[in-house]
This record gives sequence, structure tokens and C-alpha cells, in this order.
Amino acid sequence: MQQSGLVGVFEYLDDLLAALEALKRGKSDFTVFAPVALHEIKEAIGMKTSRMRLVTLLAALSGITFGLSLAVFTVEQWHFVVSGKPVVPWIPFVIVAFEFCILFGVVIPFVGLLIIGRIPRLRLPSYYDPRFSNDRFGVLVRCGEGEHEEIVKLLKEAGAEEVNEVQG
Amino acid sequence: MNEMSYNEVTRAIIRPMGSAGTFYKCVVAFWFLGIVVGGSCWGYQISQGLGVAGVKNPIAWGTYLINFVFWVGIAHSGTLISAILYLFRAKWRTAISRAAEAMTIFAVMTAGLFPLIHLGRVWLVYWILPYPNQRNLWPDFQSPLVFDVIAISTYLTVSTLFWYTGLIPDLAAVRDQSTGWRRKIYGILSLNWMGAHYQWHHYGSAYLFFAALATPLVISVHSVVSWDFALSIMPGWHSTIFAPYFVAGAIHSGLAMVLVLLIPLRTLYRFENIISMNTLENIAKTIIFTGFIMSYSYGTEHFIAWYSGGVEQDSFMWRMTGHYAWEFWVMLFCNSIVPLFYFFKKLRTNVYSLFVIGLLVDIGMWYERFVIIAGAPAHAHDPFMWRVYSPTIIEYGIMFGSFSLFFFLFFLFAKYLPAVSIAEVKEEAPRPLRRRTA
Repeated sequence: MQQSGLVGVFEYLDDLLAALEALKRGKSDFTVFAPVALHEIKEAIGMKTSRMRLVTLLAALSGITFGLSLAVFTVEQWHFVVSGKPVVPWIPFVIVAFEFCILFGVVIPFVGLLIIGRIPRLRLPSYYDPRFSNDRFGVLVRCGEGEHEEIVKLLKEAGAEEVNEVQG
Repeated sequence: MNEMSYNEVTRAIIRPMGSAGTFYKCVVAFWFLGIVVGGSCWGYQISQGLGVAGVKNPIAWGTYLINFVFWVGIAHSGTLISAILYLFRAKWRTAISRAAEAMTIFAVMTAGLFPLIHLGRVWLVYWILPYPNQRNLWPDFQSPLVFDVIAISTYLTVSTLFWYTGLIPDLAAVRDQSTGWRRKIYGILSLNWMGAHYQWHHYGSAYLFFAALATPLVISVHSVVSWDFALSIMPGWHSTIFAPYFVAGAIHSGLAMVLVLLIPLRTLYRFENIISMNTLENIAKTIIFTGFIMSYSYGTEHFIAWYSGGVEQDSFMWRMTGHYAWEFWVMLFCNSIVPLFYFFKKLRTNVYSLFVIGLLVDIGMWYERFVIIAGAPAHAHDPFMWRVYSPTIIEYGIMFGSFSLFFFLFFLFAKYLPAVSIAEVKEEAPRPLRRRTA
């Protein structure tokens, strides 16, 4: 079902924060656009800890496991004694495990970031304004036709420069 | 930088991008010619065999390994600036981290070519990889050469992903300021990033973890490279100081290369108010510090060699007085004495002296690798096997090709990608507030 919405464009950060406060009180469904990561926006929205933390931890642990397994497996094939060292020596294998830990710990979360961030996109949505990557903030509020007037009033009172209707 | 608005930041950084003038085209064409020269020399070597290089017993490692270690070393300070200083929240890092990380990637790419070049039979490189085969043969994971394969590939992959992740929002900014096919290309490269709050949230978390994971690579990768030498029994190589010695040397040469790259970039792009003199000064001060570490390392090596007596003592005396004495004293002068000039404020706040001293440090660090890699096997245990190594014209050609490749890639980056991190500079800029507090 195509839902309509409103996009408010803000020049100033404090206006945006005021709008977010009001939208949160009204329990609206919204997305904020910003040219830069600002902790003030994160705090205003009240975001929970990112899942990237857990993904990175699990990925790094899997890297250690893979690295050690690879090294131990290869050395177990022939049981060579190299320079009088034990057949399965832990010192050099720490290096292998460590490097795979870092490799997996970055590659897998990178893929996770693409998935959670919902990128890449085939095309930008109609509600995206190019000014959001330069010097403007945006709020996309998903609402029915009946709530438009109220939301427009809320955004304009907060200090929105423009409020535009969007579909989708 | 502190007083720029978001719009001013975007415009200032995007302005130099895109249209290439005659000077730029000429310089890039020169570097491209250099790559052709290097590639031709490599092609000649593949057709004729490794004998066209000067390496032969007992000096089995020559300029190919010297350049390999040199370029990996250059790479490390890029990660130090972009990852380690990010964790320390050092504000002066913001304007230079993008270019520094780009330097890292291009340096690692260039370095990664040298094991292939030195292989001779480059089509057999896959033998080093752990793939199942009928003879059940596997690489030896106890060998530092295999550690190297894993460490360098990991370093290249991690650095590229870290750099690219940081680039995504900036590519979106460039996309939004572009039109036509440029807009399409930057749109694809930016993965059509929108700057939505959930995107920034996960991005911020991921970027922090990438920085945290890239940090130990700065120490570990060049330690692994140093163990290519230290895990042998060659006098002059088999020393426990090699890991910290090489890592400090890597930072030393890398920071100097950052100055060599960024000073012209800053001047040509008129980035003086973004890349401040304070930033360049901080790099210079860090070079003084790493220079001291290098001097201490040289002193320790020579003291321990003298204290050990025998082969070790003789090997180090020969470095100072033998066939490669000239290279040794250039190394000592450029790495230990020249950085001391940065103690003078006038010299560390002047772009010309910053650049020249940085260049001399890089030359000194290249000679240091030469003295270690060629100098040790030239004068090892057996006097009957004492020889002298000279690079051939083919090796010089390949070396010129490697420098050309590095600068070619960096020039392309500087013209077609945002050379300064737009989003991070905006983070440092004053917030756009309607109601400013007193």
C-alpha cells in the first residue's frame, strides 16, 4: 500500500531537534536525514546500541577459529617436525589466527553494514533531497492524509524551511 | 576549518575535483609512462628469467625486497593517522586522514607487486595459497613468508574497506553536487547513500570497530615483514629488535611521505584553511620522536653487535666502513640527524623545509632497507662467500615503475575522489544553530 508522507527540510540543528522532540511525543514514524553523524540527533531519537557490535565480535571470533583450524589442519597432514619445533606449534599459529581474526572482523561486518544500512540502493527515493548531503537536515514523516495538516503545523512551528508532500 | 559552514566545507573540498588542467595531465602522463617502463622491465624479466636482476648468491634479496619493505613501511603511518589517531580522538588528524589512508592502500598495492616480481615464475604464485590438491601439499604456516601472504592481504583488504566505508558519505555528497554521467558514477560508488539516521548509526559503530581492528595491524604487519629477516640465522638479520625497529621505521618513513604528498596537495588545492599548519607541525614533531627511536635502534644494534663479538661485530663494522659505507652514512644522516632540524620552529612551520626534510627522511629510510637487506648477506659467516650486490638497469626500471604507480594512483585519487573527509570535517565545524548560546 502506498503511504503518503511529508518531508521537512531544516537549515538549523536546534530546529530539527525541536521537531524530533515533538514527533517523538506524537509517536510518529519518521526518518532523519543529515549531512553528518551528530550525536545530538542520535540522542534525540533515542537509538539503541548498534547490532554491528555483536556482528563484529562474532566475526572476529570466527576468524580466530578459522585461522587456527587452517593452520592446524595443514600441519596435521604430514606431521613434519620443522626446526625441532612441536608439530603443532602455538607461537606461529597465534600470528595466523590473529590475522584471520582481523580479516573476518572487518569483511563480515562490512557486509553486515551494507545489509543493515540497506545499501546499495538501485536509485534514490523521491523523498530524498540532494541538500541533505550538503548543509540541510531532513525529516521524512510517514503518515496518512488525515494527519498531514497536524504534522505540517508541527514541522513549521519547529522551524522547517520547507515541508513537502511525498508518496511512497 | 573551525569557522567554515557545512556548505563552505563541501564546496572547498569538491572544488578541485573533476576538471583536469594541462599541468595535471602532463604529470599523470609522466607517471603513466613510468608504469609502462616498469611493466616493460618486468615483462623482459619474465621472458629472460630472474638472472637479469642483480640478485645471486649470497645476496638473494635485492631491490625487490628493499622496495617491498619500503612500500609496506610507507603504508603504516596512513593507518596510524586514520585509525589510531581516530581512536585517540586527535582533532588534527581529521583533515589528512582520507589522503593518508589512500596513501596506505596505494603503497600496499605497490608493495604487493614485489613478491610477484621477485618470484620470477610469477604464474606459480598460487602455490603459496592453501588450496586442496591431489598431492595433499599445503603451505607451511610456520614460515614468515606465509605469515606475510596472510598479513599483507589482510592489510590491503582491511585498509581498502576502512577507507571505502569512510568514503561512502563523501561520495554521496559529491554525487549530489554533480550532474549527468558524473552523478551516475558517484551514485554507484556511493551505493546511493542517503544519510538516514539508521545508516549513520550503524556506520558510526562499524567505522569505530574498523579503526579498532586496523590499529593492531599497524604493529603486526610490519612485525611480520621484519620476521622475514629476523627468523633467519643471518648475522645482522637474526635480532630480536627487528619487530619494533621496523615498525618505528615504517612510521618514520610513512609520516615523511605524508608530508611529501600533502604539502603539494594543500598548496595546489588551496586547502590551507582545512589542512592547517598545526597539523603539519604535529606530523613533524612525531617524526622527531620516531627519529629518536630509529637512532636508539641503530645504537642498540651496534652495541649488541660489538658486545656479541665475532661475526655480528664484524658484520656491523663492515656496514660502517665496507663497500656499502656510503649508503650506511646517508641512512644515519637522513634518519637520525636530519629530523633534528624539526626542533627549530621556523623549519617545522615552513612548507618548503617540511617537504625537503620529509623527502630526505624517505631517502634515508630507503637506504636503511638497502643496508639491512643487501648489506647483511653480503658479509655473513663465510669470508669465501663475501660478495657485493649492485642493482641492474632492469631493477632500477622496475623501481621507477613502482614509484610511478604509487604517484599515478595518488594523483588519480586526488582529482577524482574527495581528498579530505567532508563528513568528518563537518563534524568538527560549528553546528548550524539558530539560537546560539552566549
